[in-house]
Amino acid sequence: MNLITPEQAAIQQAAKDFTAKHIIPNAAEYDKSGEFHAFLLEEAKASKIFGMAIPKSLGGLEYSPLTQALVLEEWGYGCCGMATTLAANVLSMESVMIAGTDAQKQQFYTPMLNGKIGAFCLTEPTAGSDVGGGRTTAVKTADGYTIHGSKCWITNGGIADVFTVFAKTDPAAGMKGISAFILERGMAGFTVGDEENKLGLRSSNTVFLNLKDVKVPASALLGKEGDGMKIAMQTLDLARPAIAALAVGLAERALALCVAHINERFPAKPFPGQALQFKLADMRIQIDAARQVLHHMMALREAGKPFSQESAMSKTYATDVAMNVAATAMRLMGSAGYVSEVGKLMRDVKVMQIYEGTNQIQRLVVARAVLARPKAPAPAEKAMAK
Amino acid sequence: MSTSTETLRRIQASAIAFADEFLEPIAADLDRTGNFPRALVAELARQQLLALPTVKDAGFTAHVETVQTLSKACPAVASILNNHATVAYAVFKWGSDAQKQAHADGLAQGEKLGAIALHEDGPALGHGPDALIGVLAGGKLTLNGKKTFVRNAGVADVYVGFASVGAKGSTSLAGFIAAASTAGISVGPAYMTMGLRGCPVADVIFKDVVLEAGLLGTAAEGADMLEELLSAHALGEAAQTTGIGKAAAIHASAAARTRIQFGHPIADLQAIQQLLAEITTDAHLAWLGVLHAAQLADDGFPFGIEAGMVKSFLGRFGQKLLIDAIQVEGGMGICETAPPHFKGTLPLARMFRDIAGTTLLDAPDDFPEALVAASF
Repeated sequence: MNLITPEQAAIQQAAKDFTAKHIIPNAAEYDKSGEFHAFLLEEAKASKIFGMAIPKSLGGLEYSPLTQALVLEEWGYGCCGMATTLAANVLSMESVMIAGTDAQKQQFYTPMLNGKIGAFCLTEPTAGSDVGGGRTTAVKTADGYTIHGSKCWITNGGIADVFTVFAKTDPAAGMKGISAFILERGMAGFTVGDEENKLGLRSSNTVFLNLKDVKVPASALLGKEGDGMKIAMQTLDLARPAIAALAVGLAERALALCVAHINERFPAKPFPGQALQFKLADMRIQIDAARQVLHHMMALREAGKPFSQESAMSKTYATDVAMNVAATAMRLMGSAGYVSEVGKLMRDVKVMQIYEGTNQIQRLVVARAVLARPKAPAPAEKAMAK
Repeated sequence: MSTSTETLRRIQASAIAFADEFLEPIAADLDRTGNFPRALVAELARQQLLALPTVKDAGFTAHVETVQTLSKACPAVASILNNHATVAYAVFKWGSDAQKQAHADGLAQGEKLGAIALHEDGPALGHGPDALIGVLAGGKLTLNGKKTFVRNAGVADVYVGFASVGAKGSTSLAGFIAAASTAGISVGPAYMTMGLRGCPVADVIFKDVVLEAGLLGTAAEGADMLEELLSAHALGEAAQTTGIGKAAAIHASAAARTRIQFGHPIADLQAIQQLLAEITTDAHLAWLGVLHAAQLADDGFPFGIEAGMVKSFLGRFGQKLLIDAIQVEGGMGICETAPPHFKGTLPLARMFRDIAGTTLLDAPDDFPEALVAASF
């Protein structure tokens, strides 16, 4: 049981209803075809859910971090392919929240309150885990910048109206030479390339983007030149728990499907054998633990405390748990699992262990914190040394 | 029956040549279309790889070796083969002279394809609403009910399965063999499976099917036959798992050596080395378990417990082989088709879907651990 307010419970219920009505009945069909689920943007328009992270002063819903997690868990329960569109939209807007001016926020958020979405464009063919390895450049001109290069694995890239794009204003400075820009769909030279045919999250739009001498005004720069890496890292810290939330929802779904199958298969027995009982108990324990790591992280955020390490932990733990729970559900269900939607859950969560920073990169973040040496020896140790 | 080193080498060489020539080029297409590759069954027969467990001087060792080799290239075809070979073994081991006369040569030479029908809906065989019930009278076996998730269903010429016979309270399992053309046998619509596409899966329905001489072995030995066939089948599935895992490790290692991040190939990173080493270690140790059980079978010893151990081990580590191999390749690992700018093939997404089909439990309460635990 979660300790949430009545208002949060109502929002959670609305998300549950939306998922049951629009997401679950359509998930299999879109997963099969791999077509983008455009209808969802239309259905979600009235609720302004794509603006759930936008401040009320700008017309958004201004949901707290925990409330956002509750919504994303429900969407993840329905279909992580569809939920990824929402999560990636939140991801794209966080950079503007961190570094944007009022005018930039207006520019970026207004479309999101009208059924349009955003995309966060960081990864390049040479820059995956190594964010500093990008080759896209932004050269200063008299009235702005000229951006040249390419971006890959861009979620929402083919359907977004607004984009946060990272490019090097000072290539010689490495990671310190990266800057962040706001781009809009249709700018000359900014075109959508090939769409990826993925194992999972199949109906989520993932594309290659070409930037061929795209001219942007000076007002497109987010923050200052050279702030890009800092903005990107802060954005990912904020956005990773969204993936954790989707994973928690997905794991819940896998357990629910597994339990439904077992109950159907053993209609007369109140409980199956211990081997099954304990596996189901482990699944339950892991899912609840993953949810608590996530909710704790969101509480830290709401309290204004540091949360970078907790963000990395929540994404890693929840996606690893979801993978384990889905794979276990599949195995326990046997051939029935192999022809069921549990297969989709396994395929979806495999992608989630990789995107928004692989779980290996998250472990580097956590290990750095674990191994950090104290700046000065504690008094007791000093005394011992004497 | 046991394999000489020389014979094993020869069979290994044929399997490798077959995989290179016939499977590598079609694996991706077969996964996409799911069309049963009938011509490949004929080719497997020409190479004399179809019924190795029944062949003198070959046996299970040669069979699992072949299944593993084929699985490195195309696990769906290995699935068709393993299913078929289990049927051939059942006829070879328990078939009457007449049944052998009728089926053995055809199964060995690929004129007939076999399907083993083991599963039913419901908590256990004989207990579901559509359980396959047999009535034995005057040498005839009459069958009514359904077998579910039968691989090779619809394309097979011969089904081997088990039906519950006898009065309530004292039922036993009777093995049977039936030509697919027997009146009253029909096949349901094909299931859409996650992987192993090309090896069709469907329900087989029996309606007032009368088998004149279809009882396999005696009604008393049905349960033992079932256990041995499940073990034999599980060994082949384990060889599929290790084959897929080994091939994935090779692909992921090559990818890690060429993927440059932070100025170096990611293969230089300990975290990547550890993933690759674990995949290779788990696949190798599981394979040794498969080989040992196959050797026991070939030497005429019971091998069910050893097969159960392999199944238990791969239940824990089988899927992980591909979860981790894809993790090494990152974004490229989850591509179902290679992007236009990419040179080479990207089979890991398919392998991830395929391997899931090789580590399933037969029923929710079918824990191989129970068999292992009971052996003490």
